[in-house]
Amino acid sequence: MKALVAAALVFSGAPALAQTPTPQEAKPLEPGREALAIPYEKYALPNGLEVILSVDKKLPVVAVNVWYHVGAYHEQPGRTGFAHLFEHMMFQGSRNVADDVHIALLEKVGATDLNGTTSFDRTNYFETVPSNHLETALWLESDRMGFLLDALSPQKLETQREVVKNERRESIETAPYGAAREQAWHALFPLPHPYHGDVIGSMKDLNAADVDDVKGFFRQWYAPSNATLAIVGDFDLAKTKALVEKYFGSLPSHPRPQRPEVAPVSLTAPVVLREEERVARLPLLSIQWLTPAYLEEGDATADVLATALSTGKASRLYRRLVLDKELAQSVSAMQQSQGAQSVFTVDVVARPGVSTDTLLQEVDAVLDEVRQQGITPEEIARARTRYDTRTLAGLQSVGGFGGKADVLQSYNHFVGEPNYVAQDLARYESVTPEAVKQFARDTLRPGARVILHAVPPARRQAPLDSKERH
Amino acid sequence: MRRLLSALVVTSLAACASNPKPAPASPDSPALGQKPAPAEPTADAESFRATPPQPGKTPDLVLPTFQSAKLDNGLTVLVSTRRELPLVFAGVAFAAGSAQDPQGKEGLAELTYRMLLEGAGKRDTVLLDNAFADLGVSPAMDVQADGAQVGVRVLTRNLDAALALLSDVVLRPSFSPKAFERRKKQQLADLARAMGQPGVLAQLAYLEAVFGLQHPYGHLPDGTPASVQTLTLADVKDFYQKHTGPQAQAVILTGDISLEEGVALAKKHFGGAKGKATPPPPPPATQAPPRQQVYVVPKPGLDQTLVLVGRAGIAAGNPDEYPLELATTVFGGFFGSRLNMNLREDKGYSYGAGASLAPRLGVGSLTAYSSVRQDVTGPALKEVMKELSGLTTKPISAEELEAAREGLIRAFPGAFESVEGLGASAAALFITRRPLDEFNRTVEGLRDASAAEVQRMAEQYLDPARMQIVLVGDPATIQEQVTPLGLGKLVPIEPDEAPSPRAAAK
Repeated sequence: MKALVAAALVFSGAPALAQTPTPQEAKPLEPGREALAIPYEKYALPNGLEVILSVDKKLPVVAVNVWYHVGAYHEQPGRTGFAHLFEHMMFQGSRNVADDVHIALLEKVGATDLNGTTSFDRTNYFETVPSNHLETALWLESDRMGFLLDALSPQKLETQREVVKNERRESIETAPYGAAREQAWHALFPLPHPYHGDVIGSMKDLNAADVDDVKGFFRQWYAPSNATLAIVGDFDLAKTKALVEKYFGSLPSHPRPQRPEVAPVSLTAPVVLREEERVARLPLLSIQWLTPAYLEEGDATADVLATALSTGKASRLYRRLVLDKELAQSVSAMQQSQGAQSVFTVDVVARPGVSTDTLLQEVDAVLDEVRQQGITPEEIARARTRYDTRTLAGLQSVGGFGGKADVLQSYNHFVGEPNYVAQDLARYESVTPEAVKQFARDTLRPGARVILHAVPPARRQAPLDSKERH
Repeated sequence: MRRLLSALVVTSLAACASNPKPAPASPDSPALGQKPAPAEPTADAESFRATPPQPGKTPDLVLPTFQSAKLDNGLTVLVSTRRELPLVFAGVAFAAGSAQDPQGKEGLAELTYRMLLEGAGKRDTVLLDNAFADLGVSPAMDVQADGAQVGVRVLTRNLDAALALLSDVVLRPSFSPKAFERRKKQQLADLARAMGQPGVLAQLAYLEAVFGLQHPYGHLPDGTPASVQTLTLADVKDFYQKHTGPQAQAVILTGDISLEEGVALAKKHFGGAKGKATPPPPPPATQAPPRQQVYVVPKPGLDQTLVLVGRAGIAAGNPDEYPLELATTVFGGFFGSRLNMNLREDKGYSYGAGASLAPRLGVGSLTAYSSVRQDVTGPALKEVMKELSGLTTKPISAEELEAAREGLIRAFPGAFESVEGLGASAAALFITRRPLDEFNRTVEGLRDASAAEVQRMAEQYLDPARMQIVLVGDPATIQEQVTPLGLGKLVPIEPDEAPSPRAAAK
């Protein structure tokens, strides 16, 4: 929804920045936060392509980063995994770029942070190149944005289908708890919610994809009007604008496609899954709740609670389950923030011989404490310092996962304002012990969650110590 | 901010409700700007795209710089200045690692260093962690074969406080018996968990195949269930006493700090440290014997087979390093390498395949790896071996060599963007005892390596007959598909069954 609003503002011809918070309008940054302001320029080409430029001369490198505002969320039923499979096809050549050379060509000029990724909400492509190769990167990105289908062949699709199926085997079938987690995810988002499938899709759907699907997907979603190009690093502003115009200005486009509107899902009763774990040897308890979408009320509260529960040895779950009672090997809690709906997850891996039912009681005891008393102001303050440090650290790299280009793109995608870092961090200032208590009571309810017990068969569980093994 | 944001969301919903299917914009709609884009560009106007652009003038190569100083007590201070953001990585590197684990006490270095964070100065585990958390961080501990490092990335304003805590951690660990018992059990359970991971099983078998269990590099830092079981608090204190001290340590400071500031801080927090420990001698080099067998870790029914093919490589500082790095890159170092292009892009056997050279203080490893579809285990392994032989039958071309050379050299600036990355590099220089201008030497070495040298390295080090093979996967499939390849007798090993007794039996 927010993505749509942002798009409307940008493309309505009205100056978008007048209606969204600008860095100048934001309240003065706290000491230590001055460095979070990212100077940038944003404009749109007549064909609808958004362009974000930010100069950063610390090293002679430049990041080129393209976000297409389409992800697994936009797939059709029976076509799960398609957005991601398509992402692979974008590296397979286009009208003027030979098959298989895209990555090799960038590698040989010294590119780093070179990849493409797909999430439910968007698909992105990025590379950081030595500054004298900026034009090469723009040439490559524009050729696949404009002319991918000219070079598409059934055989190339077939190979990438196999590659992706191997990726799926690696990340799900042979990964510890991979298959069990997939079941829990399906339970969280029942059909027809578009988050139901994994981003990587099912084997069945991957097998069903054909060349016409690829063509249709490209024509619908991969137009300049549905993409944002960010360039961050050591470059000349005027020359780069001219290059952007040269490579992207003439690409055909169509109106930005509508984002499907999907009603949020909710759980009305706990779903308990007991899965036999084939790969890992220690039992996993995973508890998951549906939570507010990224940047919505409650999202920041969830982050703070997750940190207080499981970050560091003094965190609540670690202290009780790992240090004091020695029942767990590891704990983690996280808010996975997503555009349509988020998921809050508590994962606990058992010590050998400890049952997941015991772990569940312990986690519930910790959560009950939070529901009764909230958390302390110190815990909130620590979390905030942590986010400040982490956010600043993300800005060290011009590109790559979580680097400056990605940060600008992400805020642009979700709120239409690339330099939203300070506003994002300001959300945490209003998180109070009371708010955390309310969140734990209202959202992390025992009656509205998926509880996954992924337990290896008894004979495969490790004994308590090696003496018992002979 | 939230109010504004909520308002935007409400507007959006309202708009959708009243106009659920907005009409597509007309060609002159402002939604696409003032000027409609051409419907279909003419072929002629787009012909410029057929020629890849020429690169601009090559920028100067910016390499990270490191400076060092020694305090009176022998402590090394290593600094790399990068002022753009108010961030500093602060760490302490130790010159002893799991290679110093005594025989039968594998896992001791790991347990010792982990104990540093289980209480120090006047604080127990929880208080210590909260003190770091007040600075917005959790300290990271990394224990490797040649050394270890503990460190934090902090805002500049928190640096002094962070160093005060790190000095407690490094100089005044509590070594409480209760915490020791707990930490030891945790390490044992970590091992139990690791034994369920195909990747860890592969590494365990690989270390045995390449170095042998007796070699200081023949085990993972975690140790084995049997060896960790024997560890006592006295062992931990002995290790700490014997191997740590200012002459065997470096304080690492990278980011928003100068050498002068770094030395002053190091003096303040670590200047009083005493101790006679000196860096241990490098582990012995080891030869790469001919392959006689194929190690198989059985995981019945696994959907993929993990393939590791490798051998003992070279020590850090070996003059062969740069031409060998180039040869390895052509073979499997890049996405566009021969190995990945074959297994992934041509055959679709795998999500990826690669090879890497990892020099160490003593002797490193040279490893090719891939995870392949179970039912093509044999064909995939055959292709790996074919690509190795292919380095001789189809020598490295000038084009391949120049792509690897230019790609590796030009990637240097982009690889050193973060203070924690600089910190890790500084620690690696200290631990492998390399000079501060190592990266300049690397660039020179890569630049100067001749085609003949690179080809010679490829044939000498990547000789398929000297590559050990480890497979983790379905034993029946492996038996059926790998036996006909004639690569050696298949020997099942179960790293999770009894690794330590086997070591003791030798």
